[in-house]
Amino acid sequence: MSVEPVTGMASDGGRSAMMWRRGLRALIITVFSLLLVIYVAGPVAWLVSSSLQSESDITAVPPNWLPPKVTFDNFEAIFAPPKREVTYETRRQGDPATGRFLPSGAENLLPSLWNSFAVGMAVAILNLVVSMTAAYAIAVIHFKGRRAALYTILVTRVIPDIALIVPLFLVMRQLDLVNTRFALVVTYLAVTVPFTIFILISYFEQIPRDLYRAARADGCSHWQALRFVYLPLSLPALVASVMFAFLTSWNEFIFALILTQNITSQTLPIIISGFVMDFTTSFSFINAAGVIAIVPPVVLAMMFERYIVSGLTAGAVKG
Amino acid sequence: MADTWADRLSRKAGYDERSAAILILPVFVVLMVVALYPIIYSFYTSLFDIVLTRPWRRPFVGFGNYARIFQDPMFWVAVQRTTVYTVVTVSITTVFALFVALLLNEAFPGRRLLSALILLPWATPSIVNGLMWKWIYDPGYGLLNGILVQIGLLESYTVWLGNPDRTLFMIANAAIWKQMPLAAILLLVSMKAIPQDLYRAATVDGANVFQRFWHVTLPALKPGLMLVLVYETMISIRHFDLFLIMTQGGPGDASYTLSWQIYVETFRNLKFGIGAALSYLLAIATFVLSYLFIRGFGSKS
Amino acid sequence: MARIRLDGITKRYGSVTALQRLDLDIRDREFMVFLGPSGCGKTTTLNIIAGLEEISDGDIWFDDRRVTFIPPHQREIAMVFQSYALYPQKSVYENIAFGLRLRKVDEATIDAKVRAAASQLEIEHLLDRKPQQLSGGQRQRVALGRALVRQPTVFLMDEPLSNLDAALRVSMRALIKKLHIAMGTTFVYVTHDQAEALTLADRITVMRDGVVQQLDTPDAIYNRPANRFVAGFLGSPQMNFVEGEIAEGPDGPAFARGALRIPVDPAVAAGQGGRKVVLGLRAEDAVIAEGGPLKGQVALISPLGSEQHVHVATGDSELVVRAPKDQRVALGETIALAFDPARLHLFDAANDQRLGPQT
Repeated sequence: MSVEPVTGMASDGGRSAMMWRRGLRALIITVFSLLLVIYVAGPVAWLVSSSLQSESDITAVPPNWLPPKVTFDNFEAIFAPPKREVTYETRRQGDPATGRFLPSGAENLLPSLWNSFAVGMAVAILNLVVSMTAAYAIAVIHFKGRRAALYTILVTRVIPDIALIVPLFLVMRQLDLVNTRFALVVTYLAVTVPFTIFILISYFEQIPRDLYRAARADGCSHWQALRFVYLPLSLPALVASVMFAFLTSWNEFIFALILTQNITSQTLPIIISGFVMDFTTSFSFINAAGVIAIVPPVVLAMMFERYIVSGLTAGAVKG
Repeated sequence: MADTWADRLSRKAGYDERSAAILILPVFVVLMVVALYPIIYSFYTSLFDIVLTRPWRRPFVGFGNYARIFQDPMFWVAVQRTTVYTVVTVSITTVFALFVALLLNEAFPGRRLLSALILLPWATPSIVNGLMWKWIYDPGYGLLNGILVQIGLLESYTVWLGNPDRTLFMIANAAIWKQMPLAAILLLVSMKAIPQDLYRAATVDGANVFQRFWHVTLPALKPGLMLVLVYETMISIRHFDLFLIMTQGGPGDASYTLSWQIYVETFRNLKFGIGAALSYLLAIATFVLSYLFIRGFGSKS
Repeated sequence: MARIRLDGITKRYGSVTALQRLDLDIRDREFMVFLGPSGCGKTTTLNIIAGLEEISDGDIWFDDRRVTFIPPHQREIAMVFQSYALYPQKSVYENIAFGLRLRKVDEATIDAKVRAAASQLEIEHLLDRKPQQLSGGQRQRVALGRALVRQPTVFLMDEPLSNLDAALRVSMRALIKKLHIAMGTTFVYVTHDQAEALTLADRITVMRDGVVQQLDTPDAIYNRPANRFVAGFLGSPQMNFVEGEIAEGPDGPAFARGALRIPVDPAVAAGQGGRKVVLGLRAEDAVIAEGGPLKGQVALISPLGSEQHVHVATGDSELVVRAPKDQRVALGETIALAFDPARLHLFDAANDQRLGPQT
């Protein structure tokens, strides 16, 4: 039974030619799929493998694909770091082949993980609340100036982030919000809201207008129409928005770099970048930190893949 | 039957308008403080000669900063680097994404799994992306060297990131890895919207696989392709994280892009005026490019 | 149960004026139909009555209450749509109950009312299903139930039957009519189908380009159309139109075109010699009969099963005539048409207005 081919790798011609073509198609698909899997997952697999190797294994030439001896030392160092300073003395004492070179900031990793998490969740939730109301107003209520409102919102993302850092820092200092997670939350809100509003508007516009009219006629105020009609039907877009907001906050680097200087509010990317810059840090440790940073977003992305795809692309199909 | 003043107000701003105002208020408050004000202030700053090493003197120079930038040879270096980087990244990402989308458009067992797997690079933080590839490119112990030597394509371990001829491309590779999935998904959805009948008609007309792709798939993808190109360009032009983690503008000025120049001028040379002016130039460039793309493809974004 | 009054309603979309100083009076409990081609403003007017569109100028009154600025969810209206607009995630029961829940009616009352409405519409067996599982006709019944259950002041319907197939449409029409009688509420119904309008309405408002052409009972609109547009819009096949002028003659005024002479009602046409007019004749008002005043040749015969439509070429015009299915007519044959002069319509060629006794 041949599956209906979509790009048109269909078969035409005689029976045996058809069989041959089908086999060819299967072969091409298999080969390319495998290549794709290697390309996409390979580097990450290598990251994970490196994090599980000891320092000596990892500096072997040629490199070990799989850890010859799986060691959780690096992760242990992160989650229960021995408070050992890497000073000139200790480094000299350490055997470069087997020693653990823990950067002095190792114990900051866990708190920064928590910061990233807290900020990410806060942004995700606030983003949802703020975007869905604005998106509803723009997409559904045909008020004068809706186009101007939308353009204004979108235009805030034209300027590169780097340009905004200094004035933003000044504003935060004015409000006495430097080194707070709150500053990050508000900043990330401003950064993510235009995109999520755009997604939600595309999605809302696809919901039949008659449904809106029916709800209003039934007795819904605007707020009730949003709650009972638009939200239930926009689940994919809502999930995509939440995911996008969380991921962006989790991955964000520049703003955090400038707005937060100490560990009370610094997020994971900042701490990790610190390790990378310090070239006395062991490779396996850095990889382990990377693994930790990569796990939450990947898990979330996998769990909600279906929603992300359909939510992101509601508008794209229409053009 | 005559309107009271309250009625006239209601005609202008009835229930709908009032509701909309309330619903949009939160967004505007946030954006006003965190986005609009800095944007305006930033432009204002670009008109002054502000150097933090002598904060007491900040003369107004109008567009003097902009003029100075155009005369600075490093600026043109940065433009060249940025252009090369952006062109390479965007074009390869798009072509690559197209092929991946074509693959995912076919029905085969395990496709759902593959689609989910695709998101892996997208979910990776750019910092991790940077360090991951930096490790792979490592001249001493990296995987790239290891593989190539084992296969026999390479004599001995070479420098990748540190080689000025290759730097931009190695960074681009990391960027492409991360960005391709999203582009592929956007294209895939556009592909799925193509009606089956068009392919059937083409087959009946006698078109083979490649002709069907060229005459049916590609034209229908125009809006999707445009979206992808605009989006990719916008973000590639301002890439910063990777450059900070991997090469810091070097070696020499091999990876000295506009974003990097903005960073250096603002935070290392402390020339805020110049930094702000550069940023606006970058913003304008992005804007113009997006506009050209949209016009070129002739459809609305 | 309300009388609806539209007073000087003007609706502008930017530079386009959709409705210009519209005045309309809908009586309490009547079944009013807005009829007209697409874009004539009938749906816009309906939306304005509902409160879903804002008015640029003018006022709306429900009885003595000025509702111009009152939003739709406070107007106690119910609405039925061409696309049914059922909430996809809710069951049929919940769809019908939704409006009552919004008004915080207690559960027991809701249950009683929903079941009563469902039984009236014969959909009790569908209460647990989702809209996707229903056929078009069933969905429309649910939509009616949703509106029915709230006992609204006004029942608004926007081309509710246009998505249904022909047979279903006929049975649903009967259902709607029965509902109207049972509920005793004011109904406002929008359609472009003139047959629907004639069947259902107590009064019809014919609209064109945002202007009311005629507001009257179906009988008056059909038999005494106010202008050429209304005359042509109602009736299937379309009324025959022939251009010509009034000629005064020894036997009284007549319609003249070329050599053709047809006597017309003196009360209407006396003293109008030379006036350019358009003659209107409905297909069913002419008969093929020996010795009739109008002669012509059969150009086309369209058998319809229950009757036949015969196209007759006379002079340089072509008329369509209804004939019984048994009547023998042959292509090219020369036949004669007879008609009752009282059934003729005359319209001024310049302004399309009906020539009445006053002119």
